Amino acid sequence: MAPDQTTGAGASAPTPSAEQIWDPVVRIFHWALVIAFVVTFGLGKFGPDQMTLHFYGGYTIAALVVLRVIWGFVGPRNARFTNFVKGPGAVLAYARTLPKRAPSHSRGHNPVGALFVVGILIVLGLQVMTGLLADPEDYINVGPLAKYVSIETARKALALHEPLGMIALIGVVAHIAAIGFYKRWKGENLVTPMITGRRSD
Amino acid sequence: MMRKFMTAALATAMILPAGLAVAGGPEDIAKARIGYYRLLGLEMDGLAAMAKGEIDYDAEAAKGHAANLSVLTQYSPKGLFAPGTSNADLPGQTRALPVIWENMAAMGEKGAAFRSAVAELAAVAGDGREALGPAVGKLGGTCKACHDDFRAKDY
Repeated sequence: MAPDQTTGAGASAPTPSAEQIWDPVVRIFHWALVIAFVVTFGLGKFGPDQMTLHFYGGYTIAALVVLRVIWGFVGPRNARFTNFVKGPGAVLAYARTLPKRAPSHSRGHNPVGALFVVGILIVLGLQVMTGLLADPEDYINVGPLAKYVSIETARKALALHEPLGMIALIGVVAHIAAIGFYKRWKGENLVTPMITGRRSD
Repeated sequence: MMRKFMTAALATAMILPAGLAVAGGPEDIAKARIGYYRLLGLEMDGLAAMAKGEIDYDAEAAKGHAANLSVLTQYSPKGLFAPGTSNADLPGQTRALPVIWENMAAMGEKGAAFRSAVAELAAVAGDGREALGPAVGKLGGTCKACHDDFRAKDY
């Protein structure tokens, strides 16, 4: 018995053309990271002087980054680094198509978006590392690994922690701007697929 | 005569720099300032270790640390913040930001918050680890608040 492909099986059921591009782990990872980043960055900049919650936020981000890296090796096709990390040639070729006022219909991360995916994972990984090693010499907000390194290293980590946070924020802003660009210029909604897992076109 | 002169000249040459060094040149003021905060840190370290449970709580030791901190709050750090001793004046020797001297009043408020947190801590230091924890947290918070605004992260 062939499925009914002409009328669709109902409003809630996906049509056969709407293939899943983001698996549930990628989607949950993405939105959990959004929340964790906003909360942890906000607490770091504007939170209380006793930074316990910022620390918990950092541990959450650490766990999410580790999960995503593992998923990048063992997850489904579109989650795998080998599938979306491309060389400079492919990146430039895709970048040249960006001005076109037409949806990209990328099945997964495009080669330029992949730069952000890898970049933000690296920056967040470094941010977690520097946070764990940082010693602000206030005796209450000392990174749990600071005692295993010299005070010079702990200070260096502290000095890198804030700029890295700003780099991560700039990356996030650029990411959101790109989503807006796809929506407005290319008429392609990239937000809904990250919620439903399926392309909306 | 010549010999006397030589002796005097030698003595002057040897004593004068030493005299200048203890007389409080900018570098020595920066060193003394770091020393003052190291003293605070040493006492705070002992309290924080107890509060975190890294070492056993000891009422007498806690009270001793708190008493030393209280004494240090009686010390006027005014001389430690002589002009010309910021990290712009003495790169690599201090992390004290020039903004301290541009806004000494704001720095003074941080100091006042620190002193009142020490007083609160001293009042409860002997009352057990449960009482010590929040007081240490609050005191450490006053360290952070000042470091955020007035101290460079690295040399």
